[in-house]
Amino acid sequence: MKFDIMRDRLLDGLNDVMKAVSSKTTIPILTGIKIDVSEEGMRLTGSDADITIQTYIPVEENGEQLINVEKPGSIVLQAKMFNEIVRKLPTNDVEFEVSEKFQTRIRSGKSDFHLIGLDSTEYPLLPELSEDNQFTVPADLLKSIIRETVFAVSTSESRPVLTGVHWQIKDGELVCVATDSHRLARRKVTLEHLPSEQSSVVVPGKSLTELSKILNDATTPVDIVMTNQQVLFKTNDVLFFSRLLEGNYPDTSRLIPEEYKTDVTVNGRSLLQAIDRASLLAREDRNNVVRFTTMQDDTIEISSNSPEVGKVEEQIQVSSLVGEELKISFSAKYMMDALKAIDGQDVVIQFTGAMRPFIIRSVHDDAILQLILPVRTY
Amino acid sequence: MAERKQKGRIIFHIDMNCFYASVEQAHDPTLKGKAIAIAGNPKERRGILVTCSYEARAKGVYTTMAVWEAKRKCPELILLPPNFERYRIASKAIFDILRTYTELVEPVSIDEGYIDVTELVKGREAIELAETIQKRILNELDLPSSIGIAPNKFLAKTASDMKKPMGITVLRKRELPNILWSLPVIEMHGVGESTAKKLNELKINTIGDLAQASEAFLKSNLGKNGARLKDRANGIDNREVDPNSIYDTKSVGNSTTLPIDLVEWDEVRKTIDGLCERVAKRLSAKNLAGHTVSIQIRDADWHNSSRSKTFSNAIYKKSDILEIALDLTKKHWHGEPVRLLGVTVSNVIDRKETAEQLSIFNYEQHAKEEPIIQVVEQLQKKFGKEIISKGMKEKKKPNYESQTSFSKDFLEDHKD
Repeated sequence: MKFDIMRDRLLDGLNDVMKAVSSKTTIPILTGIKIDVSEEGMRLTGSDADITIQTYIPVEENGEQLINVEKPGSIVLQAKMFNEIVRKLPTNDVEFEVSEKFQTRIRSGKSDFHLIGLDSTEYPLLPELSEDNQFTVPADLLKSIIRETVFAVSTSESRPVLTGVHWQIKDGELVCVATDSHRLARRKVTLEHLPSEQSSVVVPGKSLTELSKILNDATTPVDIVMTNQQVLFKTNDVLFFSRLLEGNYPDTSRLIPEEYKTDVTVNGRSLLQAIDRASLLAREDRNNVVRFTTMQDDTIEISSNSPEVGKVEEQIQVSSLVGEELKISFSAKYMMDALKAIDGQDVVIQFTGAMRPFIIRSVHDDAILQLILPVRTY
Repeated sequence: MAERKQKGRIIFHIDMNCFYASVEQAHDPTLKGKAIAIAGNPKERRGILVTCSYEARAKGVYTTMAVWEAKRKCPELILLPPNFERYRIASKAIFDILRTYTELVEPVSIDEGYIDVTELVKGREAIELAETIQKRILNELDLPSSIGIAPNKFLAKTASDMKKPMGITVLRKRELPNILWSLPVIEMHGVGESTAKKLNELKINTIGDLAQASEAFLKSNLGKNGARLKDRANGIDNREVDPNSIYDTKSVGNSTTLPIDLVEWDEVRKTIDGLCERVAKRLSAKNLAGHTVSIQIRDADWHNSSRSKTFSNAIYKKSDILEIALDLTKKHWHGEPVRLLGVTVSNVIDRKETAEQLSIFNYEQHAKEEPIIQVVEQLQKKFGKEIISKGMKEKKKPNYESQTSFSKDFLEDHKD
């Protein structure tokens, strides 16, 4: 194998695939990055067995030559070392040459590295997915779907399936749900050309977080292929595979009440700020509890009381307050996360009782819905 | 907490000599002058010595020695089973004597405590007072003690250790370099085996090394404790004698040394089950709940390991503690023979202060109680918060549930 390549393009590609490489892997070959060079271009592959990322750099783009291939071939190089070397090379022209026994020579300017590579035939093959059930989401929308849900996944391994986001295609909608069992985030999107067949997968939260870092903020299309074991996200130059979580995702639809006893409409930002202030006195190790109390004349009170720290009370004028009186305690953190996901608009909060889940959504629609379980105080 | 003068304090550390053995000798004078030892259960191997008399120590017997080994060293050794109730009564009597002098009495364990006598005596009078106290404890209770006199707790504790039995030692801050600095760090109060090992790895071998090490270096390697240890090594210790510290239970734990080394999961599980039962009962007696559950395992080679998990909801039910303890054990026990098992719930708070984050799996059970909660709230609104609360406030009398020597349950005896 022999070729030369523009260093900045190689570095961009490496940045993406490095997100899949983990130093903790138990499979030695996966500490490396696979490089495949053909007459058309270069593919870089990184994987931690759960996530696999492949980027593609064409030989020529918009009339500019990026790679000059003398002899195609493949090699696996130690990811961390390779990445550091490329980052620190002195010029933008990099020349690669692989000779016998995976001896790899990297030259740039007057710098000349000799690395010992690994046999690329030992590197696992990419999963093969049938692309029947494919649909497309613009990159910026996909990013916001992830942002609005993934924060609610569980960080504890006690119920592994809750560390993922449940993606369900049903009745022409994509419904994404994440819950750590104490709060829940749901995002619904209506998409064209969704597969008619109903299907559902649980994508690890970590995979979505990594995917989100690779996606750009433009409307470039991302093709999504869901199968039983893997999900694939495809853009022009990146393939992102993720393992799916096994196990039955709990039925969360029953949690969302159909009728409410207390309805509050309030400016999301002013509520967020009041809760943020009240949480200053709420103890994090004690569930970070703040109290929400309905008052007379379209007013609510946010308060917090820690015997050893002190207490705080703050009243907020709301746009409307309908229904029964209510006193309820909940985690300030969960409430702030939820309000941030809805992002500053006027919100409707609907309660059915002090020991029951309540929901928060935008006044306009329920495309983004947040649900929180209260805290019981004694 | 009241502001008290930090400078020129006079603090006593009273340390009972071979406490359990002395109580037994006071109780049965025929044991006096004889080599005796208290062992967990002298018949079973469950037995290391909990303590032994000075007569036994003279024969090379020491605390934590295995029973069989002690018997070999000293065949005439008289072994007695522990009688914790007897020790607790004696302990209470000692602290009652101390409280006749000042309110500033802080029990730290069943057989030692601090008192602050700054307001009572000046200069040399301190030694006379210490002599009086020591004599009273000996005459009234027939129990020997050693007293350390110093301007702070750390120095007082170090001093009481210097002369035993029936010692009275004054330790001044300026004497510290001469007395302590040449000793290895492990000799210092507050430095255990693992800290000593860490310090040695950092090439800090003597207490003097520790006193002169850079604070930033210690902080970066040992955290806050590093800076604290350096202060102690320099004789600096601003902790007050706090009579209320007995109210701050920080953890509730039980452990057991096993009669035979366990290798079967089923036996380990049963032992853990029993420990959780006892921990849950003790938590309930004190009306506490804790955020952290930990397990301790000692294997046949005396390797100790402990693992813990912290939760945002405070835990007190046996079933909850058991589930976590078993889970931790399953993860960290790999079938090596087990000699000792322990379960501890720490980070404890009063159950009245707990708040439980409901989950999608359990909220329905709580929702059932909504009507009752509403009634309680209405009553409280009308008549004040104290009128009614959910049935968990009534104090249960502590029974002598704890059978461990390191238990702090004896502190219950000091609360009214």
